[in-house]
Amino acid sequence: MKYEMVAGFETHIELATNTKIFCSCTTEFGADSNTHCCPICIGLPGTLPKLNRQVVKYAIMAGLATNCEIANISKMDRKNYCYPDLPKAYQISQYDKPLCEHGYVQLSSGKKIRLTRIHIEEDAGKLIHKRGDTYVDYNRGGVPLIEIVSEPDIRSVEEAKEYVEKLQQIMRYIGISDCKMQEGSMRCDVNISVRPEGSTELGTRTEIKNMNSITFIGKAMEYEFGRQVDLIESGGKVEQQTLRYDDVTNTTSSMRGKEDANDYRYFRDPDLVTISVTDEEIDELRERIPELPFQKQERYVEELGLNEKDAQNIAKYRNIAEFFETASDGVKNPKTVANFIIGQIFRRLETESDKEEFRIATTAEQLKELVKLIDDGKIKNNLAKSTLEKMLDTGKGVKEFVSESDMAGMEENALNELCRKAVEANPKAVADYKNGKQKAIKSVVGFVMKESRGRADAAAAEAKILELIG
Amino acid sequence: MAEGKIKHYGKLLENKEISCKELTEKFLSEIETANKDLNAYVKVTPETALETAKKVDEKIAKGEKLSPLEGIPMTLKDNISTKGIETTCCSKILEGYAPIYNATVWETLSSENAVLLGKTNMDEFAMGSSCETSYFGGAANPHNINHVAGGSSGGVASAVGGNIAVYGLGSDTGGSIRQPASFCGIVGLKPTYGAVSRYGLIAYASSFDQIGPITTTVEDSAIVFDAISGYDKMDSTSQGRKGAPTVDSLKNDIKGLKIGIAREYLDGVRDDVKLAIEKACEVYKSLGAEIVYFNLPALKYALPVYYILACAEASSNLGRYDGIRYGYRTSSYRDVNEMICKTRSEGFGGEVKRRILLGTYVLSAGYYDAYYKKAQNLRGSIVNAFKNAFKSCDVILAPTVPMTAFEKGNAISDPIETYLTDICTVPVNIAGLPGISIPCGFNDKGMPIGMQLIGDTFCESKILNAAWQYENAAGSDVFKASEYGVKL
Amino acid sequence: MVTHEDVLAIARLSKLYIAAEELDDMTKAMDDIIKFADTINNASEEGVEFDNINNLSNAFREDEVVPSYDREEILRNANDIDEGHFLVRKRV
Repeated sequence: MKYEMVAGFETHIELATNTKIFCSCTTEFGADSNTHCCPICIGLPGTLPKLNRQVVKYAIMAGLATNCEIANISKMDRKNYCYPDLPKAYQISQYDKPLCEHGYVQLSSGKKIRLTRIHIEEDAGKLIHKRGDTYVDYNRGGVPLIEIVSEPDIRSVEEAKEYVEKLQQIMRYIGISDCKMQEGSMRCDVNISVRPEGSTELGTRTEIKNMNSITFIGKAMEYEFGRQVDLIESGGKVEQQTLRYDDVTNTTSSMRGKEDANDYRYFRDPDLVTISVTDEEIDELRERIPELPFQKQERYVEELGLNEKDAQNIAKYRNIAEFFETASDGVKNPKTVANFIIGQIFRRLETESDKEEFRIATTAEQLKELVKLIDDGKIKNNLAKSTLEKMLDTGKGVKEFVSESDMAGMEENALNELCRKAVEANPKAVADYKNGKQKAIKSVVGFVMKESRGRADAAAAEAKILELIG
Repeated sequence: MAEGKIKHYGKLLENKEISCKELTEKFLSEIETANKDLNAYVKVTPETALETAKKVDEKIAKGEKLSPLEGIPMTLKDNISTKGIETTCCSKILEGYAPIYNATVWETLSSENAVLLGKTNMDEFAMGSSCETSYFGGAANPHNINHVAGGSSGGVASAVGGNIAVYGLGSDTGGSIRQPASFCGIVGLKPTYGAVSRYGLIAYASSFDQIGPITTTVEDSAIVFDAISGYDKMDSTSQGRKGAPTVDSLKNDIKGLKIGIAREYLDGVRDDVKLAIEKACEVYKSLGAEIVYFNLPALKYALPVYYILACAEASSNLGRYDGIRYGYRTSSYRDVNEMICKTRSEGFGGEVKRRILLGTYVLSAGYYDAYYKKAQNLRGSIVNAFKNAFKSCDVILAPTVPMTAFEKGNAISDPIETYLTDICTVPVNIAGLPGISIPCGFNDKGMPIGMQLIGDTFCESKILNAAWQYENAAGSDVFKASEYGVKL
Repeated sequence: MVTHEDVLAIARLSKLYIAAEELDDMTKAMDDIIKFADTINNASEEGVEFDNINNLSNAFREDEVVPSYDREEILRNANDIDEGHFLVRKRV
């Protein structure tokens, strides 16, 4: 029997605010343990939370960018569970009135992955276990998170990967998070079950916790899918449980501890007041949502004549897309700009984060200047290519490398002179041509082009050469 | 009796009849003797007190004007955070805990050079009505030390009633300021929820807790309330005082004031208390006030509603005591989870455990709707019932407690019985209203009786004014100083 | 009727141990309190939605950093610390 995968995601994303969600400590990553703490974020008795306005704004922007409905009235609740990384023994989160609901993320196939909700909450501290001792660091405690919960709409590893990449792109584009999975500022819990193809009911699901790499998400889902199918095939039953993925052995194993008795006893946090957002405020935030990657991609294809793949590769990274748009603004053929970026510039940006940061020596204006020379027929493509290389190496502008004479073209006498030289210098090719080897003429023309450093008009040169050898 | 102690001692300082150092030392030495009987203080802070006194004396020497509370010896309930000074909620689990920050109220008062004599006794985590659940043993009633001072702010009431503090700050979640004030024959004001910042008050039940003054006179309560009330950006639920300082309207005429009496408040109230209330009504009539009777059926469920909601919040608020960041930690355990469980089991007393368990129960899956949700909705109707009541009267007059201070040891025996003593005080906390308890007589055994004036939200001025007028008229028949403490 | 099992389950959630000899008394006490609490379910009225006292909304903080506390202060009240961390040592 064939089986299909059914998966949904719970994605935690750390917001790029300056301060924590309920106190004024910095959210900066990677400081010494317990140096970004105050009485509030270590939960000293008597302290009270005060909600960071920016957290609400960022969460609403995340909702707007993923087609959610934004709640005008919302509240904060306490999720009670006792664990050493949680200083108050409850996490302030949102239970039945989240800020955003009923959104979706659209995949390139056009398929929509529905979002159940997006809510705000506080992150926990970090536990380090050494030789059975437990070390606690609360720097991360109270860092603002949004949790994005999807419906079980994902049917394959490919869809899963694209979904996570899309979320990552969107959140980076609207500037609410750097979504660095390796630093934990984006973490995914995957709910996965299997069912016979064609079946409509859901199987028993397992939850793989805290995935922090897209590759591992793929591997973990493949493994877990296989494990569940084998289990069922061999007459067993999948039991609902929380799993940890081990990337060394590439297997999933059951998580113990925290999970034993899960009754979170949610109730409204009496220390915090109602969150009310007006439609005007929501519209203001909508204004701040930039054109998103897939929208750009479409426009690049339809209006600028790029092919799907190039359009996607450029639109994917906000910095590169903006570079492309400035550089191609007003040039005859934006495709030329795209080719330079995808060809020569991408060769210098190996990793994803290189492309994210996009640090190159040449400005969009400088590239535009270069492309305009091609448009005006002042220089030929291969000269432009070598010039761009020099520009990228030095950060200097076009003029530094392309002289007036380079751009002047050649007057007739000079061309004739050069053609004569070419005929003398290539007796073999000339002979071959005379013996009916049409192609041989090309190498003679090539000689002229080479000598003229690309300034000569190849067609004119060929005509002259033919005239000379009669 | 109209002039309060705060002004009285303030004048002594201003007229240089006594230095702040002398005054402070007088109180400190009286504490040494009286506290043996009263057990009002769980920690005395002579260094802090004398240090402040020195500053005040320097100001006086320079002829600088003193603010009303400057140089006045006072005390704080042991659940109000004081930087560097042990704050234990009278619980073993906070043994040795010295906060690294100040509660907003203490930040305010210390900046005014209030002289802190020490931290006072309370029921563990403010959970109790007798002060006897304190890890340090209960505080005694200054009118008869075989009787309890009441709770949970029993230590403050005992200290102020016993004249070993001019005034003190307590906290009131279900009556913890008004009930001990009533038992000790003094004045206790529970402000409107949100009038005084809760920042730094160690939480029992966050949506009920409120800090307020315990004093010997109404004027003193007004002065202290004016000083500590105010908006605090650290407390999302704080709004501060609305309107002018309450001292300004203290002596206003109350002719035509409508005083409401809800019959439900008198159900099951003991006769000596009922009688005192009726006498008080006569005094008010003589002052030209009008007494109107009405019903508040919603009060029927006030007590269970209070215990369900307060314990639910408490079960969450007290989850943080895990022995990791502060306070007591058990000595032997196998793993972190066992360390936490043993620490909590050894660190909390019986009443606290009972309330944590009740709170956990009413929030847990399957019971939430029947208890927590339902209680929350009934809280809504109680709020509305009071809103309506204040359409037909300016203030509500009620007993503070159905009885007078009971003898030591009688409280703990039966939890429910003890809970019933809160019947007249909890409605005010449920609705977030201001309420003041003032002395209104004594029973045949010479134990003080208190009555309660309740106002609409942010109407502290009204109830303080009505209270002052009564105090002024009734005078010494309702107030008697105990034989303890400082007499000058 | 509150059972021993109920009390033990609630105690587990509350991170409290109930000693065997305490269990009867605690169960009795809980049963009394719950019976008492149950009286609200005799209330004829459903009651009204309660939001928060004084119906407040939107008490926000601006997103401006204030220097954190010194680590010494943060760790001052801890039972056990090491290398700038709160510490729970293994015991046997």
